[in-house]
Amino acid sequence: MPLPDTMFCAQQIHIPPELPDILKQFTKAAIRTQPADVLQWSAGYFSALSRGDPLPVKDRIEMPVATQKTDTGLTQGLLKVLHKQCSHKQYVELADLEKKWKNLCLPVEKFRAIVDLDPSEDKMEWIKFLALGCSSLGGTLNTAMKNVCEILTSDPEGGPARIPFETFAYIYQYLSALDPEFSAVETETYLANLRDTSESRKNGMIGLSDFVIGKKPV
Amino acid sequence: MAASNIWAALPGKPPLRRCARGPAGGRDHKTEEPFSTDQSGNPAGRNCLAFLPPGGTSGCSATGAGATDSLQVPGRNPRVPVTYCWGTLASRPLPREPRLLRSHHPCPWHYLHVSSYEDSLAPTCFRAHLHRRGRGSTPNMASAMTDRNPRAAEASGTYTYTSRPRAVACQRRRYRDSILQPVEESMNYGNIMYDRRVIRGNTYALPTGQVPGQPDPLELQQQQQARRRALARKRAQQQLRPRTPEPVEGRKHVDVQTELYLEEIADRIVEIDMECQTDAFLDRPPTPLFIPAKTGKDVATQILEGELFDFDLEVKPMLEVLVGKTIEQALLEVMEEEELANLRASQYAYEEIRNVELAEVQRLEEQERRHREEKERRKRQQWEIVHKQNETSQKISARAFAQRYLADLLPSVFDSLRNSGYFYDPIERDIEVGFLPWLLNEVEKTMEHSMVGRTVLDMLIREVVERRINDYESKEAAQPAQRSDDVPNDPNTVPDPSGSNLFQSQASATPSGRFSSSLRNHWLTFNGGRRLKT
Repeated sequence: MPLPDTMFCAQQIHIPPELPDILKQFTKAAIRTQPADVLQWSAGYFSALSRGDPLPVKDRIEMPVATQKTDTGLTQGLLKVLHKQCSHKQYVELADLEKKWKNLCLPVEKFRAIVDLDPSEDKMEWIKFLALGCSSLGGTLNTAMKNVCEILTSDPEGGPARIPFETFAYIYQYLSALDPEFSAVETETYLANLRDTSESRKNGMIGLSDFVIGKKPV
Repeated sequence: MAASNIWAALPGKPPLRRCARGPAGGRDHKTEEPFSTDQSGNPAGRNCLAFLPPGGTSGCSATGAGATDSLQVPGRNPRVPVTYCWGTLASRPLPREPRLLRSHHPCPWHYLHVSSYEDSLAPTCFRAHLHRRGRGSTPNMASAMTDRNPRAAEASGTYTYTSRPRAVACQRRRYRDSILQPVEESMNYGNIMYDRRVIRGNTYALPTGQVPGQPDPLELQQQQQARRRALARKRAQQQLRPRTPEPVEGRKHVDVQTELYLEEIADRIVEIDMECQTDAFLDRPPTPLFIPAKTGKDVATQILEGELFDFDLEVKPMLEVLVGKTIEQALLEVMEEEELANLRASQYAYEEIRNVELAEVQRLEEQERRHREEKERRKRQQWEIVHKQNETSQKISARAFAQRYLADLLPSVFDSLRNSGYFYDPIERDIEVGFLPWLLNEVEKTMEHSMVGRTVLDMLIREVVERRINDYESKEAAQPAQRSDDVPNDPNTVPDPSGSNLFQSQASATPSGRFSSSLRNHWLTFNGGRRLKT
């Protein structure tokens, strides 16, 4: 019996079978990411989904979201999302990065401020941007390095958060060069000390416990 | 008996009936109950019938002689023929049919009494009945013995019943045994009240039974005596019984049936056969659908498109469900995943802390181990030093002691060696050993030479003297007168006459002997002196 063209009751409404799953995943991502502007973030989410790019979704829900209202709104989780989206290539286009930045409902002023720290044309090394973002999260150089470690590491969350020492040294040198308070000699000695310990014991990897505890004994 | 036969002769009707035979002592009541095939009859009523005391309770007394046979327990189940009843029940567990065991006795006292002990009496009553039924016209002595001797069975501990297999007694006699003496079953009943297995009174005061498996020898003897007595009595009865006189010569007694062989059955039931036949079954067609009769009037209304169904309105609940469920589910899942991730993160963090602490512990352990080893090494060193010191002091003391000890030893050893002649002067020894003997030999030779010379001289002198004496005597003899006074004053003859005489005689006898004796004397003196010297 062919279905009549006219609808008589609610049972005739057809729901696409993949809709609930997409809807659910989207809802979960929205709950997890807690974007300030859901519409903008949704546009970014679905465009990334349709293109098959990494989704702008946080891995973990971030409870202290108060910074989104009071402060710039940049958090470690958001930086991690950006890293997930951009780390596949060494240099990122600033326009592309700005679009992604906007999709995460972050203020453009902040983006400009970060880019102004290390002015370049239209391309920027991603690792440098990440370092600058981490330093803009606030705190000292050590906290920035801690954030970098936690973002870059492949260890599971809560683990030792180890990254290769070369990356660490590169970022550290870059950040300390930007900071006029740090002299190059100090940086070199500090890095040399860390290099010894990391190479002798942990086959070239450096973890949080190597430099954070040294500064801040529990 | 006649009635029983009549019932038995009825065709198509089995003799479903009971004959409750009373005791032999004149109370020949019969409670006949023709059992109808109607199964729905009241069983209670049927049983009640059995307990009814018969019309004549004459001769019933609890203590009377007839009371030994007063309890009779016939088959109580009315549905079963009597013979069948006891035949099967013998192999059946006893307490299954308690109704069987009710006493059927005219005396109400007995009835009440026994029925109050129904449970405890059950085996005994039943067994007594079995024996009685089984004995029939030919009393079985063995079963009677077991009946009379409950103690024997009791002694074996558990109650057992054994009976010799025997043929079923025929219900109906083929012929009369004897007309004069009517068939009388020897009712050798035992009073159940005197049965030892029946416990009267309080069971707490129960006497402890004998050791099972060891029958009382006294009891055995009594049994044998009773058996012997019973046999003797039976034999005497047989002999004393009046018999028909002996048959005449050439004839012999033959049992003859004097009564009618056949009996007419008077009360014959008229039977009529009736028949009825039902139709064969037909295949039933399926029931047609019930369609009620149409009532009321048909009315029609036209509905235009979109009047009944509004999509926006209808889709709202569905959307609500969709969105609500989705959000709820998503929230749940996010929470769950967050929780799991938190757990995992804390696990990793804990593991990290643990690793750090483990490393610290390892480091401390290593340090401790090194300290311990250092301590051990120092201890060993110190120990070695002390040991060496001790050893040195011991050596020193030993050396001092040895020195002191050996200081006396050396001179004493030399003394003793010197005393025992291990040290000597070679020149002195050579003189003693080589020179002195030679010297002595030489001296001896020289002495011998001089001695020989002296002896030769002596001999010469003696010869000369003798010659002169001879010359002188010969001259004296020539001048005896003149010279007689001079003889005693002669020096050669006067001194030591004995010795000189001896010497003279010897010398005169053998001059060589004189010489040898003097030589020996000399040797003796020489040897003696030498021996003394060595």
